[in-house]
Amino acid sequence: MKIVGVTACIAGIAHTYMAAANLKKFAKKENYDIKVETQGAMGIENELSQAEIDAADVVIFAVDTTVQNEERFTSKKILEVGTSKVVKDGRETIEAAARLAKGE
Amino acid sequence: MNENISEFISEKNIVLNLGASSQLDAIQKLARVLEKNGYIDNVLDFQKDVLEREKASTTGIGNEMAIPHSKSEHVRQTTMLLAKNDVGLEWNSLDGSSVKCIFLMAVSLKDKGDEHLKMLATLSGELMDDDFVRAIKKADSKKEILKILQKKGK
Repeated sequence: MKIVGVTACIAGIAHTYMAAANLKKFAKKENYDIKVETQGAMGIENELSQAEIDAADVVIFAVDTTVQNEERFTSKKILEVGTSKVVKDGRETIEAAARLAKGE
Repeated sequence: MNENISEFISEKNIVLNLGASSQLDAIQKLARVLEKNGYIDNVLDFQKDVLEREKASTTGIGNEMAIPHSKSEHVRQTTMLLAKNDVGLEWNSLDGSSVKCIFLMAVSLKDKGDEHLKMLATLSGELMDDDFVRAIKKADSKKEILKILQKKGK
């Protein structure tokens, strides 16, 4: 399973990075490949390439605001959740993304 | 970044036994510490900004931890405080837990893409690490807490 994610919160200080860390933590537990782009106060970091996006089985937007450069994800399966939900329960988000990828 | 982390976080940034009786009281007390240390220019305005952010969504991230924060014109210099409170405080936390450990982050509008934001981002990510949280909760001296933060904030 290949997952790519984007995290972004309003202030771009804390939740962006907590959500990114939690997505990675629980994806790794399932042995899923994951790369997470953060769109925070420091701008875009760990930017996803179009090739990485194209190769992904599913996309997770963990955002409380709009995703920058969203057109990169056209035609992908996208799970959109708030950052708090990912901070609270990263496992559930990863499981939901996996279900979406499998078309369940 | 490594050479600066000990400048960024020192014993001045750690408060044991905050003695707060509520969320508001905790934020007020921490704002006063920031003012005393010269990081913010106005306690009431800073406090208002933090509470505004809190209204948008809780910063009680669960596991007895909260990370109130504000990016505001009232912050002179980006910094953080880590405070422990003996009494659990109601924080509307994601997991319903009361808060005993508070990471307060104050971000200056002048900072953009700098090393301080990077350290705050790194520490935020570490809060998702169960071992890190366990260590912070267990540590009961400033020295010990500092050691954990400095090791992780790199």
